[in-house]
Amino acid sequence: MSVNTLPLSMVKEGENIRLVRLNAGERMSQRLTEMGLTPGTEFTVIQNTTGPLLLLVRDTRLALGRGMALKIVVEQLCEKED
Amino acid sequence: MRNIHIAIAGNPNAGKSTLFNALTGSHQHVGNWPGKTVKKKVGRCKHGDYPMKVVDLPGTYSLSAFSPEEVIARDYILDQQPDVVVIVLDSANLERNLYLAVQTLELGVPIVAALNMSDIVDAQGIKIDYEHLEKALQSPVVRTVASKGEGIEQLIETIIDLAEGQSVQSPDQKEPFSINYGGEAEAEIQRVEERIIQNSAVPAHLPERWLAIKLLEEDEELWKRMEGVEGGPRLLEETQRGIDRLEKLYGDDLDITFAERRYGWIAGLVQRAVKRTVSNRMSTSDKVDRIVTHRILGIPIFLIAMWVVFQLTVNISGPYVDWVDGVISGPLTSWIEALIGRVGFGGTWLEGLFLDGIIPGVGGVLVFIPVLMFLYFALAILEDSGYMARAAFVMDRLMHIMGLHGKSFLPMLVGFGCTVPAIYATRTLENKNDRILTGLLVPFMSCGARLPVYVLMASVFFPSNAGLVIFGMYSLGIVTAIILGVILKHTLFKGKEQSTFVMELPPYRLPTLRGIWFHMWKRTSAFLRKAWTVIMVVSIVLWVLISIPMAEGGLFAETEVGDSLFAAVNRQIAPIFGPLGFESWETSSALITGFLAKEVVIGTMSQVYAVEKGVEGIQSTSFFEDLGTIVTGFVDATMDAVKSLPLIMGINLFEEEEKPEPTALMNAIRMNFEASSGGHGALAGLSFMVFVLIYTPCMVAVAAERQELGPKWMWVSILGQTILAWLMALIIFQGGKLLGFG
Repeated sequence: MSVNTLPLSMVKEGENIRLVRLNAGERMSQRLTEMGLTPGTEFTVIQNTTGPLLLLVRDTRLALGRGMALKIVVEQLCEKED
Repeated sequence: MRNIHIAIAGNPNAGKSTLFNALTGSHQHVGNWPGKTVKKKVGRCKHGDYPMKVVDLPGTYSLSAFSPEEVIARDYILDQQPDVVVIVLDSANLERNLYLAVQTLELGVPIVAALNMSDIVDAQGIKIDYEHLEKALQSPVVRTVASKGEGIEQLIETIIDLAEGQSVQSPDQKEPFSINYGGEAEAEIQRVEERIIQNSAVPAHLPERWLAIKLLEEDEELWKRMEGVEGGPRLLEETQRGIDRLEKLYGDDLDITFAERRYGWIAGLVQRAVKRTVSNRMSTSDKVDRIVTHRILGIPIFLIAMWVVFQLTVNISGPYVDWVDGVISGPLTSWIEALIGRVGFGGTWLEGLFLDGIIPGVGGVLVFIPVLMFLYFALAILEDSGYMARAAFVMDRLMHIMGLHGKSFLPMLVGFGCTVPAIYATRTLENKNDRILTGLLVPFMSCGARLPVYVLMASVFFPSNAGLVIFGMYSLGIVTAIILGVILKHTLFKGKEQSTFVMELPPYRLPTLRGIWFHMWKRTSAFLRKAWTVIMVVSIVLWVLISIPMAEGGLFAETEVGDSLFAAVNRQIAPIFGPLGFESWETSSALITGFLAKEVVIGTMSQVYAVEKGVEGIQSTSFFEDLGTIVTGFVDATMDAVKSLPLIMGINLFEEEEKPEPTALMNAIRMNFEASSGGHGALAGLSFMVFVLIYTPCMVAVAAERQELGPKWMWVSILGQTILAWLMALIIFQGGKLLGFG
């Protein structure tokens, strides 16, 4: 049970996270929502270096601009690596 | 039998267009990158006794009204009331794809779910419980592999059954499909729904429950619609109170809360209906992406891919170009000459029109069909494999420099094929400023029609480095667009908000031969159509202008080209190009006609240089001898093409590079440019190529700009491009001379 919230842009590669809140404008929130990024969704950051992030959301690979990633609040899930 | 009206909806990349083709048998463009079908396509076909009208709606992720595509798709389903909506779902990606299906079901229309690309799912060891899906969705589910035509027969049967009211639903499912949004929300939905039912002015074809949900989600388009309805404002007022109440309760916008509930319902369904036998989060696609989208490796990989594309285009197509050229200037010309002689027009102006006007004009363009086919072949592979979307991802950082983001890169890549669809493709961008800025920069992506000009000029002036020079032209176009983008970002578009980049990266797919062929054929045939219409007309008009004598005592159609009206007009224009190194009426006429279409630049050159026919056509050959020559010529060309394959990597395995025999046209161009530039022919040639790269691509592109960006931006574009072209050519020629090149 971790309750460590942070902006998506700061999540490390390979980490599993849960979406908490979208601090974006209405139009953008709607866009993200219909692509499957709803609050509570668990997803993985595949790539996060510079430039856009690569996410794995509901079996879809999504490219997301870094600016947007700053406005998405996520929480880290406890490590359940085997 | 009655006509069945079918609409096809689905996420971008779920295989909608492929399924549409499979149903209608039409040859539509299909590519593997998100957002192609912006307009809807209509096809008609007949299956059994049933005539069908099939409409391919634009690919969307949902049916909210946030983008033009969504509005088109939703309004079509609502207002046109198709008998059946086929929802195409990517089986490997059911959760996200089902969202659209659920929204369509909420609209209360009969749907058939086509679980497409099911072969990929099988290969991944994923088992889907179709019966369970059918029960939950209360709609028939059909397994398809549209690219191989699998499941299409069954899909058609299911559509007919559903349209005829023989649905697979069991009798205990009389209730219409609905999702439970939870206690408070449900109460509110019912309250609004009752208000709607009581209000008789609300259009009857809008399903009440759906309308209630959408109004609570503050759907802009429906709010606007309801404001105009009698009693609508009161209804909206009450809805607003409900929204306020619920948002306080849930602490989030209602549309997000509702979307969350829908996704929750879907996630539950997927968990029950989809079984993964192998847990394999890191797919092959991901492994490839590790490298292809790598922070450092990504851009070099992209550049190498482009390099291979252009080497392939230029080197492998070379022998075929020579072959087509041989066929047109040899057998074809003599056949037409013989035919004209046979019908008794030999030696008249009609012979001139064909032999000096149409054949060199149109033929000079047709020669480059092999080049274009190889270019379109390569682009088709990049698109269908899914690499295009990766290129957009990799280029996102670069695009930010010019105030755009990765998604704008897709129209730009399309621009390498043709500027016109590229300008239309800017529609997929959500933000208006993005659309305008992208539309202004797209023309600098060198289109297929400009390639033949480079090929010809490079083989005249840089025969041993043709590939490199041509690659340089493409790069220069890109660099120009970048610099211009940076400048525009800080001037005209200063302070404009940057929109956000969200894009799906489709899984890599092995391109099918059929897909690539459709693709190649669609684009090449568009070029051919242009050849038969625009280029044919331009060739004829040009021939007439060339035939009108200006010198004393000249006769129509028997005057020297240099003494014609056309030459006289272009002599007035030519001095403009003096500082650029190509002040001659021949060159200026090529550029002036090039405003219509870049395809005619070479055609014009072939006509105005009035290339003397060599002695080649003299010895008479029989028709069958000619045919034999054509066939063996093709075989030889193929052998040469195979031999030049290693050249792509810059390796020359076979004999010394033989310099291609310069044609009469090439010699004429060389002499003309040497003369007009005072001995700096190569520099002038380069400057000419740069001018062709930068100035207005063609009239059709201008029309597209007007339609998409408006008249103001169209003029900005035309004037900007022409002035920039002149300046850049000037820098190349004068700068090169100063530095002592050429």
